[in-house]
Formats: sequence, structure tokens, C-alpha cells
Amino acid sequence: MNEQIATFHTHLGAIRFHKLLKELGDPAVMMPVPRKLSASCGTCVKFSRPFEEGWADEDLEGVYAVKDGGFEQIFFNDEEEA
Amino acid sequence: MKRVREHLPIILTGLVVGVLSILLVQWGNPANMGFCIACFLRDIAGALGMHRAEAVQYIRPEIIGLVLGSMVMAMVNKEFKVRGGSSPVTRFILGGFMMVGALMFLGCPVRMVIRLGGGDLNAAFGLAGFALGIFVGTMFLKKGFTLKKSYSQTKAEGLAIGVVNVGLLVLVVTAPAFLFFSKEGPGSMHAPVIVSLLAGLVVGALAQKTRFCMAGGIRDAIMLKDFHLLTGFVALLAAILVGNLIVGGFGLGQGLKVGFEGQPIAHTDGLWNALGMVLVGFTAVLLGGCPMRQLVLSGSGNSDSTVTVLGMVTGAAICHNFGLASSGAGPTGAGKIAVAVGLVVVTVIGLVNTKKV
Repeated sequence: MNEQIATFHTHLGAIRFHKLLKELGDPAVMMPVPRKLSASCGTCVKFSRPFEEGWADEDLEGVYAVKDGGFEQIFFNDEEEA
Repeated sequence: MKRVREHLPIILTGLVVGVLSILLVQWGNPANMGFCIACFLRDIAGALGMHRAEAVQYIRPEIIGLVLGSMVMAMVNKEFKVRGGSSPVTRFILGGFMMVGALMFLGCPVRMVIRLGGGDLNAAFGLAGFALGIFVGTMFLKKGFTLKKSYSQTKAEGLAIGVVNVGLLVLVVTAPAFLFFSKEGPGSMHAPVIVSLLAGLVVGALAQKTRFCMAGGIRDAIMLKDFHLLTGFVALLAAILVGNLIVGGFGLGQGLKVGFEGQPIAHTDGLWNALGMVLVGFTAVLLGGCPMRQLVLSGSGNSDSTVTVLGMVTGAAICHNFGLASSGAGPTGAGKIAVAVGLVVVTVIGLVNTKKV
């Protein structure tokens, strides 16, 4: 299974992403962000369908592939640095 | 086994907070008040003259330690990321009302568990209210409540709260005459500065590392059926219970005294103990963490949490300036009105910030 984890800036972002993935037929689940990852919002979404950048809205923070118990960042929602 | 190893750090954090809370009372802090974020922020507000309740004025080094301990840990682990701008004014108001609720009950969620572990059954009403408040908060989250995303900010913005706390440390050590330090009452009871500071540093660092949060445990259990954070909550209660049995057994203090009457710095009005903590639980979920978590997030660069803490300090000052805070004698009429107003205001904030999922 090709597991991925999406992190968010807000809980609403996680709910919307989860809803979108469910509508696409993915067995996505909402869960607390694993401690190894650092995120603004404590809720993440675990899903298996290959990530598409079109799914990203401003509340998406990053997407990680789960590999050998570790995480590899595969998408970072770029934003302007202050 | 893997599951146990995953939970071990947060269980350890709960145990350490519990043991230190018991020890801090032995070293001089008020009974059942080894750690209390609400009480300690209120004491700091008093020491700075923001309120003139003479019995509750002291710069609590535990608070300074919590912020700085979290800041150091976040920097060591490269997690010191400065972000903010997620509805700061709304957060300030929520922080203020969080304090109104806590001072109705007489304690933050950490002290609620400490009181429970000391046998203070009034805190059971507080816990029921706290859980109810969290439940209501999760309903808003599920419906689409959001304070919108935060944005990257300058390092200086994140470090500011650290500098403020170093300043507070200088003030408590030098104790200049212009400050207000209680000569009697809970504010006059405190462990030595260095001990309180070290306890705060340890807890701040551990809490940053583990995301220890009193509201998060119940929230995740209700909303995500995840019990990880809750293990820290339970560990804290266990450590306090055992600690009090030991303290009582050796005659070092009151120990475990089960009942409603005559509990230290507590009142017996069950309804208002519960309603105060409903307000705390509700605001904590909307803000994304309990009072202690707000301090820890503040230390790790979250300027929204810093604004929340400033709101809590302001709320504490308002509570004591206008007689909203309860005392051992019970809640005040003004305090009841303030909690009721708080529940309405927080509900309105919840409704107007709920977007379509």
C-alpha cells in the first residue's frame, strides 16, 4: 500500500481534504500528526491514492510518503517567507 | 510493544509534571497548586500591578521556565518556526474568556487534575464540565470552524516572548520595590526561584517534545478515537494520586483528603465549577490547546499562542479588578454573569468563524 500523509495549517483543511479523498473512493482517515512530523495543525490525513497537486488548497501544508517507518516529503505548499 | 514505546514519552511527561507538582508544594507552593497555569499567570498579572488582589501577586518562575524550556527544545530540534496572524484578536478574546472560566473554577486543566488527585471531589464537576466543553468545541470543528491559517513571521516576532520572560526572570530575582509581591495568601507561598524555574524548564521542554495537552487528549479521543494524548492526562492523575498517598503516609502534608468541604483554594458550588470548565474546554478546542499548551506553543515560535497568553493575562487582571474570580467562599455574582457572557461570546465566535466544509 502506497501510504501518504498530508499535513495542514488548519483543521478545516484536513476535513476538506479528507472529504475530497473519500469522494474519490480513497480509504482516507483523519488522525493526529505523527510526532516525527512538524505541522501547524495537529490533525493529518492518511491516504493511499497517488497525490495530485490539484488537490492542494492554501490550508494544505505538506505531503509525505510513508517509507520504512519514516517520512519522505513529496510536496511542500510553498508560501512567501516574511 | 511498539505501541507502548510510542506512548512512553507522553506518559513520562505526565508523570514528571505530577511528581514535580507534588514536590513544588513540598518546597513551598500552595496546596494542590504545584503547577497551575491560570493561577500563575494571574499571579504574574498581579505582580505587575495589573490587578491589586494582594493575596495573589508573584512572578511565577514556573511560567518563565515553561516558555524558555519549550523554546530551547524547539530550537534544538529545529522546530522553532515563527508563525502567526491566524485571527489574533479573536484569539486574544478567547484567551481572556478562557481565564474567566478557569478563575470561576479556580484552576486550569492541570490544576483540575492535581485537585482531583488530592481528593478534591469538586474537581470532578470541573472535569465533567471540561469534557462537555471539549465535546461542544469538537462539534464546531467538525462543522468547519476555523481561525484561518497562520503565516511565516520574522524570528524577532517569535523570540519576543522569550525576551519578555528573561525580563520577568530578572524582575523576580532582583525583586525591585515597585513590583507587587504578596506578603500573605497563595501569592506569598512559593518554592525557591531556582527550583521553580528548573521545574518549569523541564516541563516546558518535555511538553514541547511530546505535545502534552490537557484538552488535546479528550478532544482526540472524542473526534479521532485516538488516545495517545489522553495517556499523558491519565499519567498525571496517577502520579498525583500516588504522590499524595506518599506525602500523607509520611506525614509530610495533607496527602489524599477525599471530599468536597475544606479543600485548599476551592469552592463547593458544583454547577459553577462545571460551567467554568465548560468555558475552558470550549475555548481550548477553538484555540487548539489548553493553557499549558498555549505557553509551550508560544515558546516554540507560535505568535498566535503568545497573543492568546497575553489575552489570558489580561483576562486574569479583569477577573480580579471586577470581582469575577471565585474564592474559597464560592463564586461571585459578577463571576457567574461573566461566565455566562463568555459562553455566549465564545458560541458566537464559533458560529461566525464556521465555514462550509
